[in-house]
Amino acid sequence: MNWNPITLRQLKRFRSIRRGYYSLWIFGIMMFLAFSAEMWVNSRALMVYYSGQWYFPTYGDMIPGTVFGLDYSYETNYRELQKKFEKEKAGNWVLLPIAPYNAFETDLDATHFPPHPPSLEARHYLGTDSIGRDLLARLVYGFRVCILFSLMLLVINFSIGITVGCLMGYWGGAFDLIFQRVIEIWSSIPFLYVIMIISSMVVPNLTMLVLISVFFGWMGLTWYMRTLTYKEKARTYVLAAKALGAGNTRIILKHILPNSLSLIITFVPFSVAGGISSLTALDYLGFGLPAPTPSWGELLQQGTNNLHAPWIISSTVIALVVVLVTITFIGEAVREAFDPKMHTIFE
Amino acid sequence: MTAYFIRRLLLIIPTFLGITLLVFIITRFVPGGPVEKILAEARQMKMGHVSHGSANTPAQTSPLSPSQIEELKKFYGFDKPVLVSYWEWLKKIMVLDLGYSTRYYDPVWDIIRDKLPVSIYYGFATTVLTYLICIPLGIFKAIRHKTMMDSATSVVVLVGYALPGFIVAIVLFVWPAAQWDWFPLGGFMSNDFEDLPFWSQVWDLLHHSILPLIAYLVGSFATMTFLMKNTLMDNLAADYVRTALSKGLSFRQAVFRHAFRNSIIPLATHFGNNITLFLTGSFLIEKVFNIDGLGLLGFDSLVERDYPIVLGVLVISSILGLLGNILSDLCVALVDPRVSFE
Repeated sequence: MNWNPITLRQLKRFRSIRRGYYSLWIFGIMMFLAFSAEMWVNSRALMVYYSGQWYFPTYGDMIPGTVFGLDYSYETNYRELQKKFEKEKAGNWVLLPIAPYNAFETDLDATHFPPHPPSLEARHYLGTDSIGRDLLARLVYGFRVCILFSLMLLVINFSIGITVGCLMGYWGGAFDLIFQRVIEIWSSIPFLYVIMIISSMVVPNLTMLVLISVFFGWMGLTWYMRTLTYKEKARTYVLAAKALGAGNTRIILKHILPNSLSLIITFVPFSVAGGISSLTALDYLGFGLPAPTPSWGELLQQGTNNLHAPWIISSTVIALVVVLVTITFIGEAVREAFDPKMHTIFE
Repeated sequence: MTAYFIRRLLLIIPTFLGITLLVFIITRFVPGGPVEKILAEARQMKMGHVSHGSANTPAQTSPLSPSQIEELKKFYGFDKPVLVSYWEWLKKIMVLDLGYSTRYYDPVWDIIRDKLPVSIYYGFATTVLTYLICIPLGIFKAIRHKTMMDSATSVVVLVGYALPGFIVAIVLFVWPAAQWDWFPLGGFMSNDFEDLPFWSQVWDLLHHSILPLIAYLVGSFATMTFLMKNTLMDNLAADYVRTALSKGLSFRQAVFRHAFRNSIIPLATHFGNNITLFLTGSFLIEKVFNIDGLGLLGFDSLVERDYPIVLGVLVISSILGLLGNILSDLCVALVDPRVSFE
């Protein structure tokens, strides 16, 4: 593949901005860990060796307890199984993930009421939330939900924003005028407020919440795309392409869009950060995803309601700060690399 | 110029109609038809939210009573088509009648008026503080570009930029207020406020508002500071500053008499947006600190499905938002003689 020399230069400049480059690595690792979370935060064992046979319960169907010689047919409790095998010393063993809890099970302690403080012994490294679910598991799987939400939002918002903005700029005229008004009205609506109104009527799932957010948030990129297309359209290479007989579709797809790409990219990190914060805010208020879904906003709410359990708030806020700050650093670096405003410095 | 602003003011009307019609239709979107269905829906919605917490709101313990449903139905005219009931609602709005709260049976306007001072206090204080802090900091960073202090403040400002205000609010609420007990746990003033001597009242108010104000500030802070810094740097490198210097002006004079004036123009474009800060976007922080302002009112009425208040808050915040945009343009025109909206 032939890389455009300008793109190469932009990538090189991005690499040279240390803060953003390292942030990208950190964020990439976090994404990888979150999407492979079953391997290290899960109630299912990674590997079970039982009477000469290997089992890998992590991905795939649940394995009933009867398979391992237990007296129940619901899903095996691998933590119990591990203890049992250790006691029996029959050569069977269980390899548990580092944090052997999933995001939904409540681990109740007979002597104390949840929330339980962090404990290495119970392997609740960050403690539990107020109904005894493992905080680390909630955080990790909550991050996954957050990122999925943001990425879905990003893709749909950008597709609509770019298409509409491009057409407004390219066609101009009545289409432009009508959509200008529409966007004006749309963007004056207090976005979070209306989403709250809607989700107070219907309890949305992830896809629906994305669609509702898209419905009120697609305008972000449209203005920029519109002006950008206006600018590009007037440039000579577009005229040249037209003179050579290129059709509208070809001009937009092959000429205008690739040339606006570097501006679009600078909006990506900020859009991801925006998605994360708005989902967190909605969940915090109780208008986001339905109850058992692990979510950071819900953890924040639990934390502010349980001030005697500061570990809930600590872990959640630290996670949020790390994620949002790395994304912002990436965003600043991308902006500087792709859309440089070279500052003339007074000497 | 005047013609332009009159045109802009007139354009508020269709935009306002658009916003309210849209939200009106949305609130009417409750799965329509028989009252039973609405009731069932309301109950189901509540079930979904109970487990989300915030069990302190009374709506979640007491389901909507039939009389309330009846009230709602009458208010929206569910039996009539959307546009007809919208028109009826609009006719009342035009004489500033926002209807009655379905929860308190008080006029919506009275309820909103009670909460306004709190929101205005915070909006005003935030605006003033933002400008007071960001402009000097921006100037400082521009003049000391690429020094230690510049990079250090950049990181701080960027971190503030990355975090939404309500997250900062939660952090402040949990540690300085709850864990360390330095500040009161939310609220706007103490209960015995009336009985305190004057200076204690002032202190009480300040004591309650320091943390929320920090949270409010964090958001607008970064953008403003960088805007100030970057434009000032551009202006400092411009020829007219060099000319001024070569004519014998001191650097200080060149910065403050010439470059500075041109650098506040972009800041002026943000000025009107502060008006929206008085209301929208603040309900998260008001919720965290339990400040009894308009934001919290709007939120609570949403939870309690008090739609007349919901719509009332929306009316006020959207009008203010639209006025804010115009105000921004006006500010630009005032500071920048080159701008003419013709």
